[in-house]
Amino acid sequence: MEQQLLRTLEATCIQEELPFCTAACPIHVDVRTFMACLAKGDERGARRVLDRTMPFADIVGRICDEPCRQACKRLEAGDPLAVASLERHCVTGTAVVLKLTKLPELEGRVVFFGSGLASMIAALDLARKGRSATILTTDREIGGSLRNFGEERLPLTVLDAAVEQLGSYGVNIIFDCQMDPEFVEYTLNYYDAVFMDRDWAPIDDFCLDCRHPDPLTLEVDRPGCFTGGGTGPDGYSVIQQVEEGRRAALSIERYLQKVSLTAQREREGACATRLFTDITGIEPLSLILPADPVAGYTRQEAAGEAARCLQCQCLECVKQCAFLQTFKEYPKTLVRKIYNNQAVVQGTRTANTMINSCSLCGQCTLICPHQFPMAEVCLTTRQSMVLDSTMPPSAHEFALQDMDFSLSAVAAMFRHQPGKSSSRYLFYPGCQLAGSAPDLVEKTYLHLTRHLEDGVGLMLGCCGIPAHWSGRQELFAATMEDFSTIIQENGNPLIITACSSCYATFKEFAPELQLRSLWQILEETGLPEEKRAPLSQPMTIHDPCGVRKEPEIRASVRNIVRQLGMSVAEQPFSGELTDCCGFGGLMQFVNGPLGEEAAERKGGRSSLDSLAYCAMCRDNLAASGHRVAHLLDYCFPAADQADPLLRANPGFSGRHENRARLKEQLLASLWQEASALAPEHKQVVLTIAPQVRELMEKRLILEDDLQKVILQAEQSGRFLEDPQTGHRLANHRPVRVTYWAEYEVLDSGYRVHNAYSHRMILPEGKKV
Amino acid sequence: MSTFSFISQTTWRCAPCNQELQPEKVNVSYMGSVFTVELMVCSTCGFVLIPEDLAMGKMHAVEQLLEDK
Ligand code: SF4
Ligand code: SF4
Repeated sequence: MEQQLLRTLEATCIQEELPFCTAACPIHVDVRTFMACLAKGDERGARRVLDRTMPFADIVGRICDEPCRQACKRLEAGDPLAVASLERHCVTGTAVVLKLTKLPELEGRVVFFGSGLASMIAALDLARKGRSATILTTDREIGGSLRNFGEERLPLTVLDAAVEQLGSYGVNIIFDCQMDPEFVEYTLNYYDAVFMDRDWAPIDDFCLDCRHPDPLTLEVDRPGCFTGGGTGPDGYSVIQQVEEGRRAALSIERYLQKVSLTAQREREGACATRLFTDITGIEPLSLILPADPVAGYTRQEAAGEAARCLQCQCLECVKQCAFLQTFKEYPKTLVRKIYNNQAVVQGTRTANTMINSCSLCGQCTLICPHQFPMAEVCLTTRQSMVLDSTMPPSAHEFALQDMDFSLSAVAAMFRHQPGKSSSRYLFYPGCQLAGSAPDLVEKTYLHLTRHLEDGVGLMLGCCGIPAHWSGRQELFAATMEDFSTIIQENGNPLIITACSSCYATFKEFAPELQLRSLWQILEETGLPEEKRAPLSQPMTIHDPCGVRKEPEIRASVRNIVRQLGMSVAEQPFSGELTDCCGFGGLMQFVNGPLGEEAAERKGGRSSLDSLAYCAMCRDNLAASGHRVAHLLDYCFPAADQADPLLRANPGFSGRHENRARLKEQLLASLWQEASALAPEHKQVVLTIAPQVRELMEKRLILEDDLQKVILQAEQSGRFLEDPQTGHRLANHRPVRVTYWAEYEVLDSGYRVHNAYSHRMILPEGKKV
Repeated sequence: MSTFSFISQTTWRCAPCNQELQPEKVNVSYMGSVFTVELMVCSTCGFVLIPEDLAMGKMHAVEQLLEDK
């Protein structure tokens, strides 16, 4: 990933944008955290938040005119937060928690005319930075207009404390100054920089420029001279004194450092924010007022009011995505990690599993107010990992071998309709339907041959999407190429796909081919007569992630469901916002627990019985314990009327067997062809208890692997034996993985007790 | 390099050699890295026992680590 791209992506995700209140606050007080602290009764924590950004929190916290309040998101669901009253509650009840440090002394003397709040703040900020600061005023006391607030709102003792505070940072205050233009001129020349506080009555006698400072820097025509504060057209605003005092201090600091006064100051002062916070479904809540308005909030009342804060953030995508939640990231932090991961030259790439865990389903992009392309980022990263050989070999191996199997002579085939020598149509059920429900493939095929003219061919195979998802561009291109060639050589029939992933793959990567979804075809041909008796209660539909961008297919499916006499109760995360079942992006192979979590989430979107029309969704949801049928189960009911909602997940081994057997059976029954002899290890008969099967599924070990282990052990006689149990233990390494089987010899076949695997290579045995 | 030891009492016996397994140093490798580890081995034919907990635990962790290097 180029750094430029990283920056663009980082800017796309707005999760780290300022909350509305903080953006509207000229000094960007972290109101959100302040509220969170108060809500949980942590008054000192709240005070620390103020101390960090708010100068003279004891003053400003008492009397701020809270421009943030108008921006508060709560306004859209009740009343905005009483920010200023809560700040007042906080500063009156707590002492300073965080005393900001003073940096070592530097050159640069700054003088402040007038002792209003703007001067006080600018002097404090500069003194903290190590500059020498002197306040000159004709007044007898500090504060300027602050002194008019009255003892009730701003006790004078607080101002006395401020004088002390200024003193503790080394600010020199000279009251009762006698001033004339000569003295002022002399002072202006003596000091390196000057601040004129416009909240100081005599200012106009000495400064003619001060009315028109540069709004960004507050510099006036004379270099090194700055001004701010005072009473504006709308009267005296406390926060304006704060903002201008702070702005002037920063300008002066830059002036003393001789750097640009104007560069990168967009975020200073109240600014815009791009944050998005969804308030749908948020219960409107009204302002909580203190019971005693004079005394202000009690602790409890303050906590109650602060608890109304929405803690504004985006995280729209994270709220829905199991992947983002599991890795405790949002796209902005995630791309940063990916970027760093890719930059590792020597050392551990800790984000590999994360990069390979995304289901590439694209839900987040549709949810995101700025369409963050998470899937694209993860996919292109995988592709570059494959290219530079940093892709962990084990991540996708199982899925790619599964794809190989589906494309091998054992499971793949192409035939024209029996009795025809060409095909106008081609039914392509896809590897997952063939693996999940081979009988439905046969029934659907026969139905299509009866209803479509001029020949319906049949092709078993795999569209190659696992190769694409795993980042193997070359392998994927070769698979597509092979597929396209077969189709073209056979007269370019219209491909009818049952699987939405096949559909999406062909549509995107083989646009030269003619393509329709089985559901559109079934809608047109009509359904078979022998439909299953419709269910009385409504069902929910789980759209697969492959049809996110295919509204027509989704509509056809719903029409078919209606034709079947069933009613649909939609759940909000269907259609284009649908979840992935855990198969997408090969998530479940890379990260088993996350795959289960994804299936659980998708299944849990509705408590109703459900229909899927992707075989992988069907099986994954069934595996996570949901009552779910494939739509074809209802179109082509089983002869024994078994309840399709209870059909078990066949598992990886079952899918393998089903694919091989489907080809064998179809060849025999429809084309009267005998299949090639099954390899020898297929003759090994295994008995496997359900818990052992479950373990094998989790460990991605196939029955086929164990058949090979046992065949090899029994033929060579090389195995370990436990004299107590009579069990045998043997291993075999067909390619890269060493499989171990613990088994027992039965009268016919073997009982498998345990299975595990590793990739470490063991030494060859000694020759005996 | 220090040798990691994974030897533990086992009831598994080598069937063809009809004898107990003995602790022995062997070299295992993955992705170009070679480790010398002590495992239970048949001293006659060299059959190496990798118990389930080692395969699915430590060994798996090391494999993953090497893959992320
Ligand atoms: S709800 Fe809370 S975080 Fe959001 S704008 Fe209001 S005070 Fe700030
Ligand atoms: S939806 Fe997600 S990616 Fe988009 S801005 Fe919000 S947190 Fe960032």
